[in-house]
Amino acid sequence: MAAGGGGSGDPLAPAGVPCAFSPHSQAYFALASTDGHLRVWETANNRLHQEYVPSAHLSGTCTCLAWAPARLQAKESPQRKKRKSEAVGTSNQTDLLALGTAVGSILLYSTVKGELHSKLVSGGHDNRVNCIQWHQDSGCLYSCSDDKHIVEWNVQACKVKCKWKGDNSSVSSLCISPDGKMLLSAGRTIKLWVLETKEVYRHFTGHATPVSSLMFTTIRPPNESQPFDGITGLYFLSGAVHDRLLNVWQVRSENKEKSAVMSFTVTDEPVYIDLTLSENKEEPVKLAVVCRDGQVHLFEHILNGYCKKPLTSNCTIQIATPGKGKKSTPKPIPILAAGFCSDKMSLLLVYGSWFQPTIERVALNSREPHMCLVRDISNCWAPKVETAITKVRTPVMNSEAKVLVPGIPGHHAAIKPAPPQTEQVESKRKSGGNEVSIEERLGAMEIDARKKGKDDLQTNSFPVLLTQGLESNDFEMLNKVLQTRNVNLIKKTVVRMPLHTVIPLLQELTKRLQGHPNSAVLMVQWLKCVLTVHASYLSTLPDLVPQLGTLYQLMESRVKTFQKLSHLHGKLILLITQVTASEKTKGATSPGQKAKLVYEEESSEEESDDEIADKDSEDNWDEDEEESESEKDEDIDEEEDEDAEGKDEENGEDRDIASEKELNGDSDLDPENESEEE
Amino acid sequence: MVEEENIRVVRCGGSELNFRRAVFSADSKYIFCVSGDFVKVYSTVTEECVHILHGHRNLVTGIQLNPNNHLQLYSCSLDGTIKLWDYIDGILIKTFIVGCKLHALFTVAQAEDSVFAIVNKEKPDIFQLVSVKLPKSSSQEVEAKELSFVLDYINQSPKCIAFGNEGVYVAAVREFYLSVYFFKKKTTSRFTLSSSRNKKHAKNNFTCVACHPTEDCIASGHMDGKIRLWRNFYDDKKYTYTCLHWHHDMVMDLAFSVTGTSLLSGGRESVLVEWRDATEKNKEFLPRLGATIEHISVSPAGDLFCTSHSDNKIIIIHRNLEASAVIQGLVKDRSIFTGLMIDPRTKALVLNGKPGHLQFYSLQSDKQLYNLDIIQQEYINDYGLIQIELTKAAFGCFGNWLATVEQRQEKETELELQMKLWMYNKKTQGFILNTKINMPHEDCITALCFCNAEKSEQPTLVTASKDGYFKVWILTDDSDIYKKAVGWTCDFVGSYHKYQATNCCFSEDGSLLAVSFEEIVTIWDSVTWELKCTFCQRAGKIRHLCFGRLTCSKYLLGATENGILCCWNLLSCALEWNAKLNVRVMEPDPNSENIAAISQSSVGSDLFVFKPSEPRPLYIQKGISREEVQWGVFVPRDVPESFTSEAYQWLNRSQFYFLTKSQSLLTFSTKSPEEKLTPTSKQLLAEESLPTTPFYFILGKHRQHQDEKLNETLENELVQLPLTENIPAVSELLHTPAHVLPSAAFLCSMFVNSLLLSKETKSAKEIPEDVDMEEEKESEDSDEENDFIEKVQDTNNTGLGEDIIHQLSKSEEKELRKFRKIDYSWIAAL
Repeated sequence: MAAGGGGSGDPLAPAGVPCAFSPHSQAYFALASTDGHLRVWETANNRLHQEYVPSAHLSGTCTCLAWAPARLQAKESPQRKKRKSEAVGTSNQTDLLALGTAVGSILLYSTVKGELHSKLVSGGHDNRVNCIQWHQDSGCLYSCSDDKHIVEWNVQACKVKCKWKGDNSSVSSLCISPDGKMLLSAGRTIKLWVLETKEVYRHFTGHATPVSSLMFTTIRPPNESQPFDGITGLYFLSGAVHDRLLNVWQVRSENKEKSAVMSFTVTDEPVYIDLTLSENKEEPVKLAVVCRDGQVHLFEHILNGYCKKPLTSNCTIQIATPGKGKKSTPKPIPILAAGFCSDKMSLLLVYGSWFQPTIERVALNSREPHMCLVRDISNCWAPKVETAITKVRTPVMNSEAKVLVPGIPGHHAAIKPAPPQTEQVESKRKSGGNEVSIEERLGAMEIDARKKGKDDLQTNSFPVLLTQGLESNDFEMLNKVLQTRNVNLIKKTVVRMPLHTVIPLLQELTKRLQGHPNSAVLMVQWLKCVLTVHASYLSTLPDLVPQLGTLYQLMESRVKTFQKLSHLHGKLILLITQVTASEKTKGATSPGQKAKLVYEEESSEEESDDEIADKDSEDNWDEDEEESESEKDEDIDEEEDEDAEGKDEENGEDRDIASEKELNGDSDLDPENESEEE
Repeated sequence: MVEEENIRVVRCGGSELNFRRAVFSADSKYIFCVSGDFVKVYSTVTEECVHILHGHRNLVTGIQLNPNNHLQLYSCSLDGTIKLWDYIDGILIKTFIVGCKLHALFTVAQAEDSVFAIVNKEKPDIFQLVSVKLPKSSSQEVEAKELSFVLDYINQSPKCIAFGNEGVYVAAVREFYLSVYFFKKKTTSRFTLSSSRNKKHAKNNFTCVACHPTEDCIASGHMDGKIRLWRNFYDDKKYTYTCLHWHHDMVMDLAFSVTGTSLLSGGRESVLVEWRDATEKNKEFLPRLGATIEHISVSPAGDLFCTSHSDNKIIIIHRNLEASAVIQGLVKDRSIFTGLMIDPRTKALVLNGKPGHLQFYSLQSDKQLYNLDIIQQEYINDYGLIQIELTKAAFGCFGNWLATVEQRQEKETELELQMKLWMYNKKTQGFILNTKINMPHEDCITALCFCNAEKSEQPTLVTASKDGYFKVWILTDDSDIYKKAVGWTCDFVGSYHKYQATNCCFSEDGSLLAVSFEEIVTIWDSVTWELKCTFCQRAGKIRHLCFGRLTCSKYLLGATENGILCCWNLLSCALEWNAKLNVRVMEPDPNSENIAAISQSSVGSDLFVFKPSEPRPLYIQKGISREEVQWGVFVPRDVPESFTSEAYQWLNRSQFYFLTKSQSLLTFSTKSPEEKLTPTSKQLLAEESLPTTPFYFILGKHRQHQDEKLNETLENELVQLPLTENIPAVSELLHTPAHVLPSAAFLCSMFVNSLLLSKETKSAKEIPEDVDMEEEKESEDSDEENDFIEKVQDTNNTGLGEDIIHQLSKSEEKELRKFRKIDYSWIAAL
């Protein structure tokens, strides 16, 4: 785990704030912010795990930090026969965190206990600590400082084990070799030390500014035929302050090659570097470099020798806010740190502010050269104390969510236009016959319109309003008509309305029925009238079932509990109204309605059929209905008792009438649809 | 690398924490709680588990701090032993073998060499409070058979026993009476609640009892929510009691604060009530603690309280009634309806959590991540209320969609059902409700599944219900001129002869949907929703249904209630094979062809791992659990393991977790226990060494000023103010593990002598020196208490108990001689 250096007034100090992911599963992210607070975040749920303020946080701010290697804790006990199970604990618990400060002391903080564990002071540094590295096996700690020294600490005893001068200027970075026997240190030049004898083994030169990060990238040499002495052939990586190049070096057996093997180029000074170690020759090294400008550059490269040209990144990740509205432009959100997850296929990104960073796991897609993630972190500023304790997250439930209740389209599968036979018929009709020219059609329509206009003036304005409202979809106009409570007016309007508006009206009514139940009561009156008056017309429509499917489902769901009663009631009402209507229509003259377009078929048989249907439609209907009704008479007889009860209720309870009516209206549809479906 | 031992079942994920009262350490830094066979030590600051004390062979039933040494902890268990632990290092010091099942443990500071325990001897339901004399012996295992009987016919729960007023009396409650036993007089007074005689169903049973730490006052909690404070109970006739009534339901636990000025009570209301000065009007509340308060405990330092809750959590509360930390295990309050799922995004285990919530549990870190509030209604915790239950949940499209079903059924006919579809919003990193469907079906939803095929362009969800239909929901574009939106609509409704739909699942590529209708399996084409074929074996209702994966994708598996496992070939539309297996859980591995089935028999549950294409199972393990296994799930591994042995290959890419009826989460481990038990030498044990604090400097300066008046020449010595770690004598003495130090009596005299011999000590410094001496003595006291441990260690080494001092002092004497030689000039600086 690399840790960036601390930011201070020194122009040659590395940019960024010291931070690090905990080793192994990266469960925690420790961050020492410039206000002197150490905060440890849980990466999995982005929760502040603990906060620690060193007692000297103002004078000696934290300059670097490093997690100790995982403490192996014995938590599992042997299986017993009696209870067939045992506890499996977190087998490797990370605990200690070493903090280097600007005054030269090193603090060991226990994240398990949440308190300072020990302080390494005596005999150590007397200037700013630049880098801390834990030795992976022994309990040793290495630190380097502006006082030009490298110190080896015995952590068990909290004592200095060894202290030696590492460079002529300040030593800025350290790294321990994979086998634990060598140490890389860097000031202006990079030196490789043998840990046992504390002697310089190799020198590497190339950076002009202090080296801010050092890391070994391979643990096996590329050439596996040669015997491996633990260090020769390994590659390591270095990044320096104000340097947009990351150099890769190879430890060669002969001491001649001192310059970098290859380099990676990034857009700004590297702040945080993480990489996946390549374990064999074929596996590429994956490198994530967080730059000062807040971008992450990902490299994937198989290290195999010298390369002159600096490599550019395979993928760049940026994060930006969503620009709300047109005026505000998206603002970039700086990425603070990035660490590879243990599966090497995803990356943990830490972004936002130092005080409230957001940690997210992002799956890597190597094919995309540029990833821009849009993240809204505005709500992150809200205090999170409550959630930190209760651990409850509330998902957003806003009014924009779609709500489906029974009867609304989408709640049930839409009734699809039934069999393809009708389509064939339609297509036959379309193809057959010569087409009327548009001129002729327009002419016919104009005449119609004039004639109609004269008629309309004399009649009640409601049908006109309704027609116009339906055609223009004018909400107010429709409201004016549909919100009437006068049953007679409704009836008259429905009788006088032109046939072609029946289906639009029904659709409008369906839409309104889905709304508030109070308004639905009015709509039911309309629906009832439309269905009783125009039943004959509706029954002629070939695509009635899909057209009125939603209405049918709506009614079905609303009257589910009263199905039987309402069926019976509906049938009776239909019967009675049909009988009375047929008596009335004999006396009253229905308004003459002329078809907009009359099309004459060539074959005489069909024509005659159509004519007959037009003329005798009403009579036919009545007969049909009567027939069907006579069939159902038996049912009625059976259910007469129930009916009587229902009527009693109706008389008794005025308030229920509305709902009863609604039921009646609904039930009107049932026999219709039944007959149509047949 | 991986040593291939036998595959063993291991417990994982927060076992029960709320079984008994938690106990605080003396400095409130740690909290102890019993957890199955273990005692867990948590840090009160970071909520992290510091140690797990294991050694008991059965359920641990009680823990108490050693009143004579606050760095030690007693625990008792059903295995009939009392164990003494050093909790700082997590070491077992001593085991006392009592021999009978111990149900609770109490310690009293005044009774130095004995502890109290609840045992049942003869009949299974008669419990006794006995005093167990702990013999002073040097061996690690001591028999402690000397039991003296204190009280008979008591309640099993430790909440019904309390020791009061420095151990002068013990109060026990059961049913309608309170008995107080006075140790000195050896008499028992019994107080019966008057109302209980006449009314048969009186609700004022005693539920718990607590004693005031300093006064003669007993508080008792009752079934009807009242708290009675008993006073003057020395006299059988003149006793008085006062009533405190706020709880409307049973008082679950009571605790007095350390000073006794306030009384804490809690119950099902999930509200912690603090009664100040034991008066009814001075109440303080801490509401909304989330679940029934089962136990309350108070830290000896008095700065912290903690409440254990029925949903397996411990809340640590500050003295000013502010919750400061939550130690949360896997929530176990209620039954699991949703089953086990894996969130593809966080890789966390998802299941029912708090009421109305889904809990996300990280298996890697063995910690709860968070609870996702699905129902979003205030939960009223009361007996007999019918709550909205979260019954089903499913993740779809790589974690981008979450479907949840909630249901509330008051009566047979009054079913309330709601399905919510949540979309993961990447911008805000959270779920947002997209579509809410009221009554998606007429009856309970039995199964819910997303089509998780990679190439599917349109998210598809299928719900199967008892009403005989299954519905296919698809995501459609709902955009209009005002907004861009997507929403779910029903695309298809299918049924089969009005049979109840019991299960549904998509094939791996999403091209086929299998829906089981009671005994019949129907296969539907997912493009046209046409019924392709049906399978019927007439072997009982289908309980589980799943498609084979990868190379076995042509197979469909169904497990029936009559104990038949069928495998159909989808190409030939014929039964490939069937087996007689009473399958409780059947789970396909998402990363391989393997399918795990857990069968239930009268003896226990057995695991079978098989490939549908092969007749012989890959792996069989009998008796994985004695209880019924309810749910199971395969969890993909982050880093694949590399088992070469054929029997373990099924564990290479995924790990199998399962949940039993008592809601313990178990898994399979191949690592040998020895491998996981790393010796302590390997652990990174850094010495705790803290330099002087600012307070020390202030104090030091203050003393220095005093000194200045006496002797100004010593002024500059403050600069050399010694750090404790620099003085070998002190650090050696204080930092040497207690068990290697010689007898404190021996050590003390030598140590003090060595201090007195210091040459540079001046008589003028004697006053500050005394102060230090006292401090030292204090630390020695604690060492003294460790006395017998050392003996134990020594006898182990030598086998001779007599000449302990001479035996061991060879090395120790050297050290002590060193002490003498060391320069104690630093004392002069004080």
